[in-house]
Amino acid sequence: MQWIKIPLVLAAILILVIVFRNRQRVELRAGSRLLVVAMAAIAVVSIIDPDIPQAFANLLGVARGTDLLLYLLIVVFVLTTLGLYFRLRDTDQHLRRLVRSIAIDEAIRQDGPPGAPSGAAPGETDPRTS
Amino acid sequence: MEPGPPRRNEDVWVIVPCYNEAPVVRGVIETVRRHFPNVVAVDDGSRDNSAAEIQASGARLVQHPVNMGAGAAYQTGVDFALRDPGAEFFVTFDADGQHRVEDVIAMVNHLRGVDTEVLIGSRFLGSVEGMSTSRRTLLKAAVVFERMTSGITLTDAHQGLRVFRRSFARILDLQSHDMSWASEFLTRMAEHKTTYEEFPVHVEYTDYSRSKGQRSINSVNIGMDVLINKLLRGR
Repeated sequence: MQWIKIPLVLAAILILVIVFRNRQRVELRAGSRLLVVAMAAIAVVSIIDPDIPQAFANLLGVARGTDLLLYLLIVVFVLTTLGLYFRLRDTDQHLRRLVRSIAIDEAIRQDGPPGAPSGAAPGETDPRTS
Repeated sequence: MEPGPPRRNEDVWVIVPCYNEAPVVRGVIETVRRHFPNVVAVDDGSRDNSAAEIQASGARLVQHPVNMGAGAAYQTGVDFALRDPGAEFFVTFDADGQHRVEDVIAMVNHLRGVDTEVLIGSRFLGSVEGMSTSRRTLLKAAVVFERMTSGITLTDAHQGLRVFRRSFARILDLQSHDMSWASEFLTRMAEHKTTYEEFPVHVEYTDYSRSKGQRSINSVNIGMDVLINKLLRGR
């Protein structure tokens, strides 16, 4: 049994749950910033003394320090991808609302509000609209 | 059944999304307007002269400056029609000529007599021409999928001809950009416990509509979109 499997599987599940449920929360954004700082710190430490990641890897049951970094990288990559995916979804949604609003305003500016008697409509004027 | 003198139907808005349908859209809208004076055609960033054809047909034209997909176009049409305080009934109608205006007349007349909020056209209660066996099987699978994801049981879950009341139009708020709008529509019905009925319609697949239609493989994309939207909704 490699103990690394437990934190990795837990991390994967936790990331999915947290990101899906709280994607609008300010804590999540704060968390991702802290994660960036932590990653930078880990990078600095690893560069200065490569034995430290190796020691952590041994502690967790991973053969090499590089493997540990690879696993971490995968976790970070998944997080980043999901984050960007959500951001793109929201941006798309904003764009659609914006385009819709512009399109409707433009149509009303050109031919008046819907329901008003327009020149092309058959029949007499509609008393409902003023 | 042909109705005698066409009813005024001024409280009905027919919403026709249109993406590169210039060869047929004018004829389709003119047929609709013989019975329903209020038609809004949403030109979804077409690159052909659909917009000019729509204007020549006498329908109200709302033009997306960029292509945003069928779901977004329907929502634009609904939002536009909601600006008419007299609008009570909303109809989603395809621009490619596969739907028949006779079915819309029957559906609107039916809705006037009942309290139901939404009427969904069903090809399998009615009749369908020119549909392949594989497509038929796929649509049956879609029915099962919808039953599992939204809990709404229909005989035909992806039929675009639907009539609904103002109360439902106000909560519709379609967010999916492409063809998964039909599923999102059902999801919204499930969320709000909307009352609904199915209504038999006749759909005719011409060579034109087939060439413009969905490829079956797209059902994979639609299914994924539905699941993702379901996972993310309301959080």
